[in-house]
Amino acid sequence: MIGFAAAAFLSILAQTAGFYQIAGHSPAARAAFGASMSALAAQFVALFPTPIRPDTVGGFVEFRGIHPLGILLCVWALVSATGFARGDEERGIVEASLATPTSRAALVASRAAAFTIAIAVASLAACAGYLAGLAIGHETAELRGVLEDGVLLVALGVACYALSIFVAQLVPGRAATAAAGGLLLGLFLLNSLSRVLQSLVAWRWLSPFRYYDLSQPLPPGGTFDARGFLILVAIAVVGTAAAALAFTRRDLGSSLIPFPARHRPVSFAPSGNMLWRVPVVRGVYERRLGIVAWSAGMSLLAFMFVLLTRTIVNVLLSVPSLLPYLSVFVHQQIYPAVLGYTWLNVAQLLFAALAITHVARWSAEDVDGRLEMTLSQPFPRAAVVVERMAVLTVIALVVSAISGTVLFVQSHIQGIDLNAGRLAAASLMLVPFALVFAGAGAVLAAVNPRAAVGLLGAFAFASYLDIELATIFRLPLWLQDLSAFKLFGTPLLTGVDGRSLALMVLLAMLGLGSSILLMQKRDVGR
Amino acid sequence: MLPEMAAAAIRTSKLTKDYGAGRGVFDLDLQVSAQEVFGYLGPNGAGKTTTIRLLMGMIRPTGGSAYIFGLDCARDAVDVKRRVGYIPGDVPQFGSLTGSEVVTYLAGMRGGVDPRRVRSLCERFELDLGRRFREYSSGNKQKLAIVLAFMHQPDLLILDEPTSGLDPLNRQEFYTLLRETRDHGATVFLSSHILSEVEHICDRVGIIRDGRLVHIAELDEATAPNLEEIFLSYFSESRTKPKLLPS
Repeated sequence: MIGFAAAAFLSILAQTAGFYQIAGHSPAARAAFGASMSALAAQFVALFPTPIRPDTVGGFVEFRGIHPLGILLCVWALVSATGFARGDEERGIVEASLATPTSRAALVASRAAAFTIAIAVASLAACAGYLAGLAIGHETAELRGVLEDGVLLVALGVACYALSIFVAQLVPGRAATAAAGGLLLGLFLLNSLSRVLQSLVAWRWLSPFRYYDLSQPLPPGGTFDARGFLILVAIAVVGTAAAALAFTRRDLGSSLIPFPARHRPVSFAPSGNMLWRVPVVRGVYERRLGIVAWSAGMSLLAFMFVLLTRTIVNVLLSVPSLLPYLSVFVHQQIYPAVLGYTWLNVAQLLFAALAITHVARWSAEDVDGRLEMTLSQPFPRAAVVVERMAVLTVIALVVSAISGTVLFVQSHIQGIDLNAGRLAAASLMLVPFALVFAGAGAVLAAVNPRAAVGLLGAFAFASYLDIELATIFRLPLWLQDLSAFKLFGTPLLTGVDGRSLALMVLLAMLGLGSSILLMQKRDVGR
Repeated sequence: MLPEMAAAAIRTSKLTKDYGAGRGVFDLDLQVSAQEVFGYLGPNGAGKTTTIRLLMGMIRPTGGSAYIFGLDCARDAVDVKRRVGYIPGDVPQFGSLTGSEVVTYLAGMRGGVDPRRVRSLCERFELDLGRRFREYSSGNKQKLAIVLAFMHQPDLLILDEPTSGLDPLNRQEFYTLLRETRDHGATVFLSSHILSEVEHICDRVGIIRDGRLVHIAELDEATAPNLEEIFLSYFSESRTKPKLLPS
């Protein structure tokens, strides 16, 4: 809760204070800035709603700060709900809780209430960040709009929590996060894609994100849709009640929907699969389902982004005031520019997430004793670190190659002319990009495995907000240049910058070398 | 005779791991001979697992030194582990891997594991390797840990409470396996807080209290019955007697 509250406060503060640094001070400068933000928003129309008055601090923060924070809080709701519903159950914490005179319904309700309090604190922190940022710019805001934004975030987060906890009751424990995550992602895309695909408009009432989108209370002239807010509250209440009911109807450790166990003959022999014996290959093979899921997900996104590119470009070209800006910005290469901006931005975030999931696994191996068991074999500690990084490298290569190929083929089908060499280079750039985060994560996992994921998430977040944070904290230029997001550049449009690539490789190697040294010196064991 | 042959299986000198606030292991001087079964006794938190982790090179000593077959446990950790089989105090988690995959995965890291030996151990403990690790009961997880420790026929077994979670029949089977292993020339260092177990299988016992080795005793027919008395003499005084509630 403290981590999310701090992240919410800092991110909104950074966006608010950053507005005054980058938007200019004269009305003309602000108007030009608003136009450029509208152009940017048009490229992200498939993800975020069109902003109201992005030339004002309220409109800008609503678009750049509050909407992404809403997604972050939904991810928190997902992890928290499935962690309670199935993770705590596997660890025996739920069993211990039910051994006390607590009913199952009361347990679900208490967890939902606890999450509501936690997300309310994080939302309040976000509001505080906005007000603190306004104070930096010597502006004030209507408190009502700020609070309305806060309660909307709470309602959206708790609605997602309720849906996740309900789905987690229906499926086996190991599939709970994937099933609930799939549902939330589906509902999110249903709403966001309905902004560009007319065929989805009739169905978007099913998505809680639709009711969140109806309000934008922060900018001048913004709105708060009380009906949409109440529907979110109703989803939260009904979802939690349904989860409680489902929990009372199932056995601990089982799912409400029965999945028959496969009958296997008793076996006393070790596996004859040689893949388990080959270094690096065994790590890749163990994560084979994950690789399939990541490749499929990334490919689907690549496919969709290509599909949406023409629509987005048409939106951009339909705004006369944007035409001069666009011609300067993209040098007549509007399709690769838009695709590069939208797809590669999302791909960077996802590859950072891929690295974080690997670091989470390394930390888990430390905590659950698997690392201790590995090191009880005649296997050097340095080899453990190198093999982990090598496995991530191979996986990142596979995922980037598959999604890059899908992007290229689909672009060709859509008649969008992409430079194959640049696309290959841009896709491959995602590998060292992921390794920068993995290197930092390896260091953190060696120093403090329990805190590694949180710290790496904060590091990734800070890297993403590099420009905003740099202006607030007056960071030196060389430090700003070390952000992996900045080093990635625009390879689809301008090609790979050799210096940036070398810096990324150097940062990854620095992380690898440091983590090897730290691993040699540290104590292992719970 | 090679110097290694002449070396004790385990030798520690002033071995210390200081976690602060009086926690850890302090000035441990210990020698375990080859082919000996050495029991390491102590209550929870006395320092048994810390000693074992120091021997396995999992944690680094604050002071002193530890040697296994003449090899430095910290510096030569990889070479030490070629000759050691290990059961950790808490069974590691392998999630959705099957037992057979876990065995092949760790055997692949170690090399030189005979699949027939694995099969024989699994048949002996009736451990179905075809099931996923997360489906195993705690007893079956412990059986898998036993298979992993014994599968490469090590010269030294370092076992942290190895019978935890086993039913009486499998516990007896484990004792038989331990005797056979010793008869084939291996050395065993096992921690336990079950006095009868130690009496039953160990040649010698060391008692640890508050991180310090306070007693070492031979366990032959004459002294074995006194183990409980010895143990209680060290620990009964430290226990606070329960206060009676006023009637």
